[in-house]
Amino acid sequence: MTDHHSEDIAHRVEGGDVAPGDVIHGEFTAGWRTYVLGLAIAIGLTIASFWVAQTHLIYGPAIDMALATLAVAQMGIHLIFFLHITTGPDNTNNVLALAFGILVVFLVIFGSIWIMIHMNQSMMPPTGMPAPQSGGM
Amino acid sequence: MKLLGKLDWSAIPFDQPIPLAAGALVIVVILGVVALIFAKGWAPYIWNEWICSVDHKRIGVMYCSLAMVMLVRGFIDALMMRTQQSVAFHSGGYLPPEHYDQIFSAHGTIMIFFVAMPFVIGLMNFVVPLQLGVRDVAFPTLNSVALWLTAAGVLLVNMSLVVGEFSRVGWLPYPPLSELTYSPGVGVDYYCWALEISGIGTLAGGINLVTTILKMRAPGLSYTRMPIFCWTALASNLMIIAAFPVLTATLAMLLLDRYLGFHFFTNTMGGNQMMFMNLIWIWGHPEVYILVLPAFGVYSEVVSTFSGKPLFGYRSMIVATMAICIISFLVWLHHFFTMGPGGDVNGVFGIASMIIAVPTGVKIFNWLFTMYGGTVRFRVPMLWSIAFMITFVIGGMTGVMLAIPPADFILHNNLFLVAHFHNVIIPGVLFAAFAGYVYWFPKAFGFKLDEGWGKAAFWFWVIGFYLAFMPLYVMGLEGMPRRMQSYDVPQWQPWAHVATVGALSIMCGIACMVIQLVVSIRNREQLRDDYGDPWDGRTLEWITPSPPPEFNFAVMPNVTGEEAYWGLKEAAREQQRITRPVPEYEDLEMPRNSPTGFVCAFFAVMMGFALIWHIWWLLVLGFIGAYATLVVFAWRDLHERIIPKEEVARIDLENRARRNLALQEGRV
Repeated sequence: MTDHHSEDIAHRVEGGDVAPGDVIHGEFTAGWRTYVLGLAIAIGLTIASFWVAQTHLIYGPAIDMALATLAVAQMGIHLIFFLHITTGPDNTNNVLALAFGILVVFLVIFGSIWIMIHMNQSMMPPTGMPAPQSGGM
Repeated sequence: MKLLGKLDWSAIPFDQPIPLAAGALVIVVILGVVALIFAKGWAPYIWNEWICSVDHKRIGVMYCSLAMVMLVRGFIDALMMRTQQSVAFHSGGYLPPEHYDQIFSAHGTIMIFFVAMPFVIGLMNFVVPLQLGVRDVAFPTLNSVALWLTAAGVLLVNMSLVVGEFSRVGWLPYPPLSELTYSPGVGVDYYCWALEISGIGTLAGGINLVTTILKMRAPGLSYTRMPIFCWTALASNLMIIAAFPVLTATLAMLLLDRYLGFHFFTNTMGGNQMMFMNLIWIWGHPEVYILVLPAFGVYSEVVSTFSGKPLFGYRSMIVATMAICIISFLVWLHHFFTMGPGGDVNGVFGIASMIIAVPTGVKIFNWLFTMYGGTVRFRVPMLWSIAFMITFVIGGMTGVMLAIPPADFILHNNLFLVAHFHNVIIPGVLFAAFAGYVYWFPKAFGFKLDEGWGKAAFWFWVIGFYLAFMPLYVMGLEGMPRRMQSYDVPQWQPWAHVATVGALSIMCGIACMVIQLVVSIRNREQLRDDYGDPWDGRTLEWITPSPPPEFNFAVMPNVTGEEAYWGLKEAAREQQRITRPVPEYEDLEMPRNSPTGFVCAFFAVMMGFALIWHIWWLLVLGFIGAYATLVVFAWRDLHERIIPKEEVARIDLENRARRNLALQEGRV
């Protein structure tokens, strides 16, 4: 099975078609190194998040933003080191798929926030009116 | 703690004769089939060649069969609703409210999740690898797991007929009604767990087909040479990957509310029901296009084949497909215009909803221009396609009406809306499923379906459709809300009668389809497709014998242009023999069949049932079983089996001989 598998990959590499995660002969050690490096950075970012949440060195209200930044960086590290997204021509499919995914996530998150803000505003009792009975709508 | 959780004898509806009799009948039929299988000694064949099969063609056939059986179940629900509304003027009719509510909930759930979805997925599974010129999908065993998880969902939904109850809150469980406070029974739990389980199957299938299309095409089959059905399958499966996790997560939040006292959607403690509508429709709108895009692909193939012409505007079709794929994620709010997001938000989503009609219109014109100037053969698949074009345009127009927010404020939640979505989804998806069923049946089984009974089914269905749903537009405009168990307005009743007649006509259509299948199996020798190209097809699946061998292609076809097979056939016709040289046959490796999918689904049903009835020891048992299945599968030693080249040569040479004979006799 293993022989056949690597043969299959070699065949695809010839055609310039490498799937992310394919280990090509001779590059195995290089692959190891990227994984270890990725793991180290990922752990570093995780520790940084815990540190940011507890420290007094950062302006309090900015902590949320710092955590969000670290989270996005974490995602980037995972994509590059573990999912092997690159800008190479053999990776067009993956980059396009990623772009589609990001677009959908963007639409879901910001669309929902936009809709819910408007919905909450419309549902507010008019100013000057007594507040509704307990339970709201 | 009780050993069986919430389960006891009160779960069996002894006091309700209709579900009890229906359930008993189903159990008797299933036991009868199982007994027949064992008595005739078919059990090893069924187990080895079907249940354990990882062959994409057989999995596709099983998906479609599942869909057809469930179509009958969903249709019986529909017939009950129509007859109820016919008689329920000034009276309670024959269905008590709590039963009627279960019926419309089950009808919607079954028709979308367990008829439309498996039918469309089954067709994609069967056709896409053949059209791509490859031997199987990217992950064959995962494919089998996906099928059986869908079947697990089906089983749970049907179990609710006899053990407990089904959801009464509509086909989407809107909170707060679906929360524990207002729906304390197991109905909503049945719904949620069935969809969580089958949703994982759908997601796995989506990943599988996207990978197959992006990574496994025959040499030379570039993106702009792919048949349109493959393009629509790609778009649809990309949307499955993007949208189904939203469904899973939303239902998971509802389940957390119900099981662990969370407050995502409750109306106390800061919960927000509107977030549920928002999230469920972020999945729900793309879902519509997940279903309809592959259906458009079927129509593209059928119209092109039966007009004897290449598809008009092939590239514009690709652009339209991908445009729909993206715009469909931008319109979800039109399902809740009236919930109060205000004019700005409604305006944006209303316009986006109208814009999506543009690429759809492009497609309609492309099909019309494909027919224009062609030699149109009015065979059954083509009839379905023409009926679709006419009917779907009507449904599309009422859709654009509903996309205008002020109009929606008047029409929402009444029968006009019900008429609209049936008017798009029945011609849009179901007619395509039927067209695809007749079109690819000879490829799957080696003989065509009877033409006469097919046409009878077609006419009963189409006439029945118009009779059943056009009155609903009128009733909607007369102000009848949807989901009414009884009513007091005399003007509605005549239209309800017409709709019932329509439903009865559709029933005749379904009966004709059953007869068609039986008659065709009996007359299979006369209907035999002896060389594999019964419709004068244009895409690669028609180069294989009917039914195709397990490995599909003896050698990978080399594609040199659009309509890969048509070019080869033209050359062969000129010389009255196959022009491709006899290839060097080689041993082929095919994936081994595996019971993993079936065993996995068995444990999934166990876990689902345990969760619904709070039987925690059974849940643990099911989880251990499922995990053990994974471990056994991951540690397997034998992945593939060899098909010797002599066998490959024998099958391929036999098909070449048949084709050469057909060419000499001028039958191709």
